[in-house]
Amino acid sequence: MSAGFDRLLEAVVRIDVRDVTFEPGARRFVAGVGSGVILSNDGLVLTNAHVASPYAVEISITLPSLESVGAKLVGWDHWTDLALIRIDLDEVRRRGLTFQPATFGDSGALFPGETVFAVGTPYGLTRTVTRGIISNNRRYFEDSEGVRGYETGTFNTWLQTDAAINPGNSGGPLVTEDGEVVGINSRGFVGADNLGFAIPSSIARRVVDELLAHGSVTRSYIGIVPRTLQNLEHFYALALNTGMLINSVDPGSPAAAAGLRSGDILLAIDGQKVDGRFPEQLPPIQNMIASLPVGSTVKLSVKRGAQAMEVPVVTEKLESRMGEEWAFDKWGLSVRKVSRTYARENQLDDDTGVIVIGVQPGFPAAVAGLASGDVITRVDQQPLKALDDLKRIYQAFDAKPSSLLLSTTRDRRVSLYVLKP
Amino acid sequence: MSRSYSIGGLTCGGGNRSGAAFRAVAAERVFPAEWSARRPLRLLTIGIVLVALGVPSALRAAKDLPELFAERVKSCVTVEFLIETELDRQPVTVLGTCVDSNGTIILPASAIGARVSVRQLKDFKVYRPDHATAYAAEYLGQDVLTGWHFVRAEAAVRAELVPLTAWVRRNTPDPCMADEVWSIGLRGKDEDFHPYFLMSRVGLIQPLPQMTAVAASEIGGPGLPVFNRAGALVGLTLNSFGQNFLLFSRRDRGLPVVLVNSDESSVFLFARDVLPYLGRIPRDVSGRPLPWLGTFGLEPVDPEVARFLHIENQSALVVSEVLENSPAEKAGLKGHDIIVSFDGKPLPRLRPEQVVETYLEREVDRHFPGDVLALTVLRDNRRLDLKVTLGEEPKIIREASRRYFERIGLTVREFLYGDGIARRVKIADQKGVIVDFVKPNSPAAVGELAGDDWIREIDGREVRTYADAVDALAAIEADPNRAEFVLLTSRGNETAVRRVKLK
Repeated sequence: MSAGFDRLLEAVVRIDVRDVTFEPGARRFVAGVGSGVILSNDGLVLTNAHVASPYAVEISITLPSLESVGAKLVGWDHWTDLALIRIDLDEVRRRGLTFQPATFGDSGALFPGETVFAVGTPYGLTRTVTRGIISNNRRYFEDSEGVRGYETGTFNTWLQTDAAINPGNSGGPLVTEDGEVVGINSRGFVGADNLGFAIPSSIARRVVDELLAHGSVTRSYIGIVPRTLQNLEHFYALALNTGMLINSVDPGSPAAAAGLRSGDILLAIDGQKVDGRFPEQLPPIQNMIASLPVGSTVKLSVKRGAQAMEVPVVTEKLESRMGEEWAFDKWGLSVRKVSRTYARENQLDDDTGVIVIGVQPGFPAAVAGLASGDVITRVDQQPLKALDDLKRIYQAFDAKPSSLLLSTTRDRRVSLYVLKP
Repeated sequence: MSRSYSIGGLTCGGGNRSGAAFRAVAAERVFPAEWSARRPLRLLTIGIVLVALGVPSALRAAKDLPELFAERVKSCVTVEFLIETELDRQPVTVLGTCVDSNGTIILPASAIGARVSVRQLKDFKVYRPDHATAYAAEYLGQDVLTGWHFVRAEAAVRAELVPLTAWVRRNTPDPCMADEVWSIGLRGKDEDFHPYFLMSRVGLIQPLPQMTAVAASEIGGPGLPVFNRAGALVGLTLNSFGQNFLLFSRRDRGLPVVLVNSDESSVFLFARDVLPYLGRIPRDVSGRPLPWLGTFGLEPVDPEVARFLHIENQSALVVSEVLENSPAEKAGLKGHDIIVSFDGKPLPRLRPEQVVETYLEREVDRHFPGDVLALTVLRDNRRLDLKVTLGEEPKIIREASRRYFERIGLTVREFLYGDGIARRVKIADQKGVIVDFVKPNSPAAVGELAGDDWIREIDGREVRTYADAVDALAAIEADPNRAEFVLLTSRGNETAVRRVKLK
């Protein structure tokens, strides 16, 4: 095709991952296959967060030469579904392996109808190239549990392509005819034909820098849920293309503390005007807020009825609704920490407790009567603040088993269970 | 353990406000569906054949049964009424039992749903078995303890009805396992409510918490008196329990289904849990006073937990939440408290465990607002004795004011105390109104409003009271030039702006 495309093929890898999973009430392992693209000569590989995550216990990369080599996670960002891993360079040197990095292009210059190629490992079929066009270069897609139950898509729009993207393509590059990487293929619509989504390279570059420097992307949170103004301008007496509707305000969030309410119109952020008429315009506005330093004061210009206000809001660190997961093997119980976000979503009083995500039949937790979805709030009448508290209780139980009284909440109903050795 | 017992939608007679549902474990059998549907007809056929051929002498012992049957049928009626909603009228047909010489009739709790307002109930009619004549009747209200709805038939028919108390025989023992029991089934309107005979034997007896028996097969229509072999009153049939079946079809290989016979029942309440309550005719149609404790989510403890708490041979209830400004709160009850005794009596160990919740509700319901009751709880491993003064239950859903706006396609009702509980809203913040009904394909439906949405603002103005909302919506409805309006509504934990386009 082109010299650039040939070079690109030399930079696409297959990624085999073994993940730990806690769902069945025990620590188990599952294997998965994805794709990735080599970024640099020092062995950095970009892939999806749903391919390589902190759940990975073993990552193996198959180079274009078909030689396999180990790799380690550098960092992940489920919000943009991106992860960075590094090839074991010692092993590469020891075995005399070679690879070369891909060249990145400008995703902002793409136009609908432009020919693009997806390269990856669909269903384990290494080095598969599929061809299509850019179907839409600014697709809005948000999923509150899209990446292993973690949120995704709030802060970015997506490239949509009809190049065939199948399971296993995840993490592979979407490239131009010149072999320049313009996106990272991430997801397709289940049951649809060739409706694939990729993260634009412009987003990926920023995330890669953060992951390389800090291992994660720190974002700010103020707790507003936006909605398009589409056709509501008249009701709010606004000029077209002005402002964004605050559809809801998370209870207990900085925005709520600052007095913001549902139905307020956000006109500007620190003096910079916002326009949230259409869905595609929301992620960039969300990203403006997310990009503010944590703990800083942001000045929101807000319209409420006929009244215009300047509202200072102090940002908090953005957290996922997913808390840390753990399995207590001898109890046959796996749990996830209640996060602030989970507590808020489920109208819990606070983030005390752990959510049962799995029980193994016949083990003490199941015998006691615990079931997935129960929130364990107290052990022996003492509130369970942190997951580490339960880990300590488990160790004590392991050393000297004795019955424990657990209090759980489910649909606001409090139940008691006795966990017996 | 506890979860496996509840089956959505199946309630065991009695307490109308309890969500407890039980499955009759002993009554699981498999019949071809077709057989049970045809059975009354077949019984009828057998009866005719026997008469024609002359009864063999071995069966002559049963000769008194037709006489007993013919007399006792006079206690049974079919009651028809309408539930009028925004768009249509739902006819309801239920069976009832006459309880006194004033033509008072009791209907099972399930006859009328908890959300139905008294104003929606119309055109009560009473039919005698084997008669096509409709007699007018008046709805008297629902009793909180038994859940029964009381209806009074017009004077013209009263002399034809015989109260079930006529069949009370002194020193009649409680039904025992394997006792023969029988009752009456009533066919539909097209067959002039023709009565038929059903008989079986008691298979299972259990306090739920009222003494309840499950017969080996159906013994009568739900809500009718039950008799022993000698014709003495021994109980009142409840709605039948669900039975487990596996469904085999071309597509399904053993799909588990629950079947409920809605025409006939095999379950009945003992007469001793029926007779003392026949006089509980509501003072007025509201059914008030309604005694109120004010707890949310009383969860039974299992035997393991009871042992752990050193309260063997009894049960206990964990209080999930204590409601704001309730008698329970005033008495000092707190969430996570474990109630071990009520009104001086330890909570009994009942099976399944959640029956004890119904037990406590009934203990509350047999009292009156203002009654002072003793309550013992475990809190932080200490035993605490509390005194609670029962209150009057705040306005319940069937009593709420509602208003339907035809052009918008929306019924709103006032915000109730119970709405505050469901939404975790403090009394001070309980403003606005609740969406009670959305007409399909109406402007409100297209505007994505749904039942139970909480309307907080109309056209940017806060809704403080029900009257506020009714005024604002009436003004919108009456304005022919109105093209649209905007509501701020909450659903679950999310608040959203919704636009309703009128043209």
